[in-house]
Amino acid sequence: MSVAQERAQRLAALPFERIGRPVSGGGGGFIAGMKEIAAHRELLGLLVRRELKQRYKDSALGFLWSLIRPLTMLLIYYVAIGQFLGAARGIPQFAIFVFAGLTLWGLYSEIITAGTTSIVSNAGLIKKVYLPREIFPLASVGSALFNFGVQMIVLVGATVVLGQFPLSWNLLYVPAATLIILIYGLALAILLSALNVYLRDVQYLVEVALLIFFWASPIVYSWSFVLEAAERSDLPWLGDVYIASPISTAILAFQKGIWAAGSQDVVMGTNEQTGEPIIAAAQPWPADLDLRLLLMGLIGILLLAIAQRVFSRLQGNFAQEI
Amino acid sequence: MTTASVEAPVVVRAQGVSKRFVIRKEKSLKERIVNFGRSNLHKEDFWALRDVTLDIEAGTTIGLVGANGSGKSTLLKVIGGIIQANEGTLERRGRMAALLELGAGFHPDLTGRENVFLNAAILGLSQKQTEQYFDSIVDFSEIRDFIDTQVKFYSSGMYVRLAFAIAVHVDPDILLVDEVLAVGDEPFQRKCMAKIEEFQREGRTIIFVSHSAEQIQSLCDRVVVLSHGKVVYDGPTDEGIDALRASFEGR
Ligand SMILES: Nc1ncnc2c1ncn2[C@@H]1O[C@H](COP(=O)(O)OP(=O)(O)O)[C@@H](O)[C@H]1O
Ligand SMILES: [Mg+2]
Repeated sequence: MSVAQERAQRLAALPFERIGRPVSGGGGGFIAGMKEIAAHRELLGLLVRRELKQRYKDSALGFLWSLIRPLTMLLIYYVAIGQFLGAARGIPQFAIFVFAGLTLWGLYSEIITAGTTSIVSNAGLIKKVYLPREIFPLASVGSALFNFGVQMIVLVGATVVLGQFPLSWNLLYVPAATLIILIYGLALAILLSALNVYLRDVQYLVEVALLIFFWASPIVYSWSFVLEAAERSDLPWLGDVYIASPISTAILAFQKGIWAAGSQDVVMGTNEQTGEPIIAAAQPWPADLDLRLLLMGLIGILLLAIAQRVFSRLQGNFAQEI
Repeated sequence: MTTASVEAPVVVRAQGVSKRFVIRKEKSLKERIVNFGRSNLHKEDFWALRDVTLDIEAGTTIGLVGANGSGKSTLLKVIGGIIQANEGTLERRGRMAALLELGAGFHPDLTGRENVFLNAAILGLSQKQTEQYFDSIVDFSEIRDFIDTQVKFYSSGMYVRLAFAIAVHVDPDILLVDEVLAVGDEPFQRKCMAKIEEFQREGRTIIFVSHSAEQIQSLCDRVVVLSHGKVVYDGPTDEGIDALRASFEGR
């Protein structure tokens, strides 16, 4: 049998594949999308590596920059907020506290910033070849996770060096909080990357929104400050609103996990007049943190499914709109 | 030419495929808000493809011809799954590789080598398989000296050389080729034609867009003439070229 005949025979046995996802409703959706991604996981790995490489490609220090930036931020907040504004007086192990918040926030903001532009910046590929387009926001998550991993090593290293390694069940909050951030980050990255194709303002809007959310999350000041402010200003609901943000909750849980000093009464120094010790009381962690995390995780998964559906509808026109 | 035997299976089946482009004239929020409500005035839509129905059997080489803007590239993109039809269905089977207009989906910041791996992965090859074919891809493209240069520094001819070399090494059952070969120099064009003839003997299906009547005549078993998004002729090559000339006059 000739090569051509063999090929014809093999093709005749293959089922037809419908090209182009159905534009409206019906079949597959989320699960089908995930299956398609799974089939392309090798490509996903390649894209992640490419993104990391591309980011630092012409720089001498290369990937060290992924550490220099957060460490500089740590230094700035440590000096400006911790010392000048005096936040460190009420927050024991202030460096660990700030770096923990910055690390998790860095993951979130990197997923969203890189994710939002991921479709537009891969126009060259999207216009020429078909591949499940969710792979691009996912690759942004991958490279953000890499940077997060590097910072985590530094963070854990610091807790060990400072004798603050949090050996307790609370450590489980770390993966839980990271998961929440990943779910919400991915959902937003998928949604925003699609919207950004049609409306380039989205990427600028995202920058502004991230700035607001950074300061609206307990990263450089602690949750207890928020509660005190709520009490002082007689707005008891302020704390509830604040903690309604999944990001705030995730960051609090993360801190509870990695920042051991936050869960103890810590002697911060002695009062010079009376000679009595100044004690920073343990942080008032929100009640039912576990339940909150669980609930937010479920809501996040729902949001992710919705984001994927929206993406799936919009992606049919990506190639012609970019 | 090819032995399109009676029982050759259909590999691409387009039924009533129509594609509409909506051209919006604003892209920013301000413009959208300013024009809100009157947005239809700022939209123009037209049909780039109209009710295209085709069955393509395995082993045939189809020449897709027509005037500029007649919808050839659009049809190839719909077949490739890169854009979605608004109406109709498109079904396909077998592995497909596409060379659409310029650039096979290269990333300008990556080197030729990295792009080979990226592209091969997109087309469905594993890392191992690509390593196996790598030398042969580079040899075919004849740009070994530039393989570790970022592709943004390539000339369009080099681009096409590499793109074509990858596309023919991923063992596609269906190959889409959109006008790209015209940028290669003559020896390379001859090499590509030879490769395409080899593909024909191996029973692969080729959908070929070209403005060269000579190329079409020597390669294709069948010609489809598009005009304003409609199929105006579908049949043997010689009459197809006459039909193409007629469609130029009649527009
Ligand atoms: N992304 C797009 N947005 C709007 N119009 C498009 C787009 N791509 C192609 N068109 C229009 O569709 C028509 C067919 O284009 P095309 O398929 O590229 O023609 P050709 O036969 O020359 O390859 C043209 O009028 C072109 O302007
Ligand atoms: Mg064209």
